[in-house]
Amino acid sequence: MRLALRDPHTWFVMLAGSLLGLAGVMLAVLGNPQNSGICVSCFLENSAGALGLHNNARMQYLRPELIGFVLGSTLAAIGFREFSSKGGSAPLPRLLSGVFLIVGCSVFIGCPIKLFLRLTAGDLTTLTGLLGLVGGGWLGLKGLAAGVDLGRSSKKSDGSGFWTPLLFVMLLLFLFVRPGFVLFSERGSAAEAAPVLIALGIGLLLGAVAQRTRFCITGGIRDLMIMGTRAPLFWGFIVFVLVAFVAGLATGNFRPGFYGQPGAHLDMIWSFFGMLLVGSVSVLIGGCPFRQLIKAGEGDADAGLVVIGMFLGAGLVQAWQLAGTAAGVPLYGKIAVVIGLAFILLNLLFFRDRAVA
Amino acid sequence: MEKRFDLVLGALLLLCAVTLVGLLSGTGSQASQRDLRVDKALEQEIAYQAKVSFLERLYAPVINLRDSGQNESALLQLDELSRKYPDEAHGETLRGEILLQLGATQKAIGHLASAVRMNGDYVDKQSPLSRRGLIERLLASELTKFKQLAADNSASRSSQAALKDLYYLQGRLAGGCE
Repeated sequence: MRLALRDPHTWFVMLAGSLLGLAGVMLAVLGNPQNSGICVSCFLENSAGALGLHNNARMQYLRPELIGFVLGSTLAAIGFREFSSKGGSAPLPRLLSGVFLIVGCSVFIGCPIKLFLRLTAGDLTTLTGLLGLVGGGWLGLKGLAAGVDLGRSSKKSDGSGFWTPLLFVMLLLFLFVRPGFVLFSERGSAAEAAPVLIALGIGLLLGAVAQRTRFCITGGIRDLMIMGTRAPLFWGFIVFVLVAFVAGLATGNFRPGFYGQPGAHLDMIWSFFGMLLVGSVSVLIGGCPFRQLIKAGEGDADAGLVVIGMFLGAGLVQAWQLAGTAAGVPLYGKIAVVIGLAFILLNLLFFRDRAVA
Repeated sequence: MEKRFDLVLGALLLLCAVTLVGLLSGTGSQASQRDLRVDKALEQEIAYQAKVSFLERLYAPVINLRDSGQNESALLQLDELSRKYPDEAHGETLRGEILLQLGATQKAIGHLASAVRMNGDYVDKQSPLSRRGLIERLLASELTKFKQLAADNSASRSSQAALKDLYYLQGRLAGGCE
């Protein structure tokens, strides 16, 4: 622990954690849905709706934070000469991993960041989700230790790493030009939003800081399992949770209990399985949904493909009504999670370098 | 040869960029811009307004009967309409409101929760269909009562279901992503 705290990088990661925790609470105070100040999966579902990938009129808004995460990462990577195109590792499994990441998140109602924002706001229904996330991380790590390897990304000189940032530049244009085919909800949770420029600014800042620090929620949990308290990401994660908790208390948003929680359901077994899926996929592909956005921003075309998969998944979970709601998890949502877990297990079987084990 | 090809590609890219800027800055004729514009948002809004006025027309006889104090007749009228339009959220809301007036609170809670499950517009502040105020009042008056019943172990199965529905409505009022 002392060793970790002596490292300046640990303090930088802790700064990233504190910014994320504070922004997560403050964006909800500024207008985002309750407990959803930052939720990558909700933002993706909103943005997929805005682009016409589903027709839930209550879930359509191009979330500026999402655009900010990617472009902030790109700007930081270019500024610090870290931008480099790489890719070419198991493209189809990564695309499908993106889809299943969102399936798991939508059944739980939120990404790993939102899990902790909900938990620190007193939502005790998230406890099984937390167990699932840790269990999924453990399963993924066991797989990696047994020789599971999706293949190494290789450096590319073809500029393929620019495509995801360019896609988000296009979304940024859509946000301000507002062409007729882009939809913006007038009702429902997508109509609740922090002011555009503030949301975009916070997104850019968090994207840049996360690019510099490699901050990731599942990464923090994974590193704790591997390195114990020596891991800088773990300390960043702890600070994120503490700051979110204190900010929630200070803004009067801490209401502990199981019932009447915003954007939550009581199908806690399915919260467990949803997050089990998210945790295991995240460890196998090297990061949670937030981290995938950041990596895509710094030129990782493999992460870019995961992001495309997440957009696709975000459209599907709404169009096919797989997503959990306050009323619970629909049957087809449960089926999708089981298929996702089977997908993970098959990958654990097929992508094994048996010589390692 | 390769260098010349690169130059051609560069020139074509520049042409694409200029065309894009031209199109975005509206140098095309107004008429062609109108033809190109697919205003899905407007279409969506028109469809929503049409739905709201259809519901108002469909349930106008029920509302008239309710307003004139003929609650039982209003419920019969609702039964008739629900045969033609089963699982329709607005009918469920009206049934909940009428049952509340008749003092059948447990049943009313079930119908209101069912309506919100079908259509979240009933808890939205912005929606013309909103029943947020009614649901807030219902929670303020009934939640503690049903909690107490559950705590005393004197709750029947139906009142336990009503408590579950009240928690659901409380969660929806609390907001959050859907």
